[in-house]
Amino acid sequence: MPELKKNMRLLISQNIGFTAATIILVVLWLLYNFLHPRGFSSAVLIQNTNESVAIVFVAIAQTLPVLLGGLDLSVGAVMTLANCVASVLVSGTPFQIILGMMITLLTGTAFGLLNGLVVVYGRIQPIIATLATGSIAIGLALFIRPQPGGDVDGDLGWALTNDLYELVATYGWWDADAGWFAPISWFPVPLLIILVISFGIWIPFKRTITGRTVYAIGSSESAAFMSGLPIDRAKLAAFTLAGFFAACGGLYLAIQTSSGNADISQAGSYTLNSIAAVVLGGTSLLGGIGGAIGSLVGALLLRLLAFYFRILSIDPLLQPLIEGVVLLVAVSLGALRTLQTKNRLRLFR
Amino acid sequence: MIKRVLAMSVAGLAMSCAVAMAGPTVVNGPGANPSCFAQWSPDTKFLQWEKREGPFKLAVVNGFVGNGWRIQMVKTAKAFAEDPSIKDKISEFKVVSTGTDAAVQLGAIEDFINQGYDAIVTIAVAPDGFDRVIRLADKNNVVIVPFDNVLDTDKVMQVNENQLEMGRMYASHVLGELGKLGKTSGKLLEVRGLAGNSVDRDRSLGIHQVLDESGGDWEVISVVGNWDDGTAQKVVADAIAVHGTFDGVVAQGGTNGVVQALLDTDHPMVPMSGESENGYRKALAKYADEGLKGISIGQSPGLVAISMKAAISALEGNVMPQLISVPLPVATYDELEDGLNYWSDLPDNFFTVNEFPPCGVNISGPSIMAQTKDDS
Repeated sequence: MPELKKNMRLLISQNIGFTAATIILVVLWLLYNFLHPRGFSSAVLIQNTNESVAIVFVAIAQTLPVLLGGLDLSVGAVMTLANCVASVLVSGTPFQIILGMMITLLTGTAFGLLNGLVVVYGRIQPIIATLATGSIAIGLALFIRPQPGGDVDGDLGWALTNDLYELVATYGWWDADAGWFAPISWFPVPLLIILVISFGIWIPFKRTITGRTVYAIGSSESAAFMSGLPIDRAKLAAFTLAGFFAACGGLYLAIQTSSGNADISQAGSYTLNSIAAVVLGGTSLLGGIGGAIGSLVGALLLRLLAFYFRILSIDPLLQPLIEGVVLLVAVSLGALRTLQTKNRLRLFR
Repeated sequence: MIKRVLAMSVAGLAMSCAVAMAGPTVVNGPGANPSCFAQWSPDTKFLQWEKREGPFKLAVVNGFVGNGWRIQMVKTAKAFAEDPSIKDKISEFKVVSTGTDAAVQLGAIEDFINQGYDAIVTIAVAPDGFDRVIRLADKNNVVIVPFDNVLDTDKVMQVNENQLEMGRMYASHVLGELGKLGKTSGKLLEVRGLAGNSVDRDRSLGIHQVLDESGGDWEVISVVGNWDDGTAQKVVADAIAVHGTFDGVVAQGGTNGVVQALLDTDHPMVPMSGESENGYRKALAKYADEGLKGISIGQSPGLVAISMKAAISALEGNVMPQLISVPLPVATYDELEDGLNYWSDLPDNFFTVNEFPPCGVNISGPSIMAQTKDDS
């Protein structure tokens, strides 16, 4: 038992940023639900998660390059590209829909791989390389969809943006009113999608040698090289996975809005917000510390701040200012560790 | 914990079972107050929602914020919510700006539906993608009113000004004034708006329709001013440097900049058209005698007030057109009067048209500017 306690304490102290973000998220979310006229209802949870899916995936995408010690400025653009591809392909027969989703995810993954190739073999800084490839992604998106529009399957959109009950009822897999199904039928599909994809891919990846190499590179690339770790492979994998997660965000956005929109300013705001979410979730911009689940929490926290504007009366023209101040405070909390260190040199590691 | 999960599942179940498809029914016209809520075209259908008792909960979901027009729109919404004609009908009023992110805007609308709001007025960030919230709104009998940037759908009630007609009036006025000078052909400068935007497209279409119909031999030089004073000033100055003198200027925005460029380059004052910026109207009043015989028509930030009024009218069970055409607020150089339709003491980038007498929307410029930031 003391052994377990010690392990827990170690786990928490090693993930202090993540732990803090999670506690803040839970507290703020509970308070939000108490203030909301329909708090603690399935409808509110569905709305909350629907609004968060795209930014959660883009934040997870951003995490991998950040763990390497770089930044990916193309995540928002790749999401937009996937969004536009999906708006063209995700319709028709069930087979065509599934094929369209596959092609959408493949597009993003391929684009991520391209980023990785440019960074690894082109030997260009990630921030510059992705700035350029991001423009290419937006250009392609505009080419595919010069004007917003598209007809993503409406039933799919309805089924995936509601609770499990509507999903089952829409496709008639089984009797949605069945007794055994009732205890879980309220569960939001978007939340399920987030949890399954992020945990299902991230946790196994983190435990592979490639995954651990990503962390090692972020901590010290030269040490990782000296240790004979597969550096090129890890970088390629990180950027490829980033492309995949960004495409997940774009695909969901297309399903949610049943259309595509090559909106440059929207792509930019997703990229910036993804960096904010990554930092909020306890990942260090210097690399080597953090993780995708932290970014998931960070993205949810970022969205939750805006939810408050709708239940409290705050002047609309002051809202961006308040959001900015709260963000700054939240991110600064992560810097509190600088006050505790005994030796300043530790800050530079 | 278990209790909460249980409560959630029950609530979720109730949510999913109890709702049948509701929403508006398509009915025959005429609609209520047709002088204000005018049908867009003769084949616009009419919608009717179930009548219910006020006062109502009303929300405005703005998208992008950060230019003068949007800020003035938000201020207008707040001023109008305090207007005696409407104050008693509103029990709760909220305004949020979501930025350009579609997911956030959809989320905000869905949130207000969940909170039990009766009507949501919005400027859509994209013409598509609202199917889901429209379906939800219909389920919960919520009235959604997109205005300004309207949606490509006929399932919701929407409010806008007729941009094609506006373009036609711009060109007609300029040709009319040129006609008075005896000119039936010549060189015109067209200053366009934001490329790829439907408003820019429709206004330009209207302008060119009139020019083509006039039969005159018009040489049109088109420049893109993005509806922005700075950009417009630069491109107009460039056009004058390259092409010399124009017989008339057909601008559709950024008009302060257009006039400034004419003054800076010592271009003769010619008939022109433009938006409804206060600075442009000041210039029209000042230079009309020198030949700046202009027309000023604008997309009014006051559209938000009309949309709010339309939402309440729909909630009261009145028959409403699906697409409402708001009368174009027109003022020509000879109709301008300081303190009435322009204000020499207000800033140049203030949009002057805010009053729509047929709608009972009479918020004057000074009363909007008096809206301070702490009285939400």
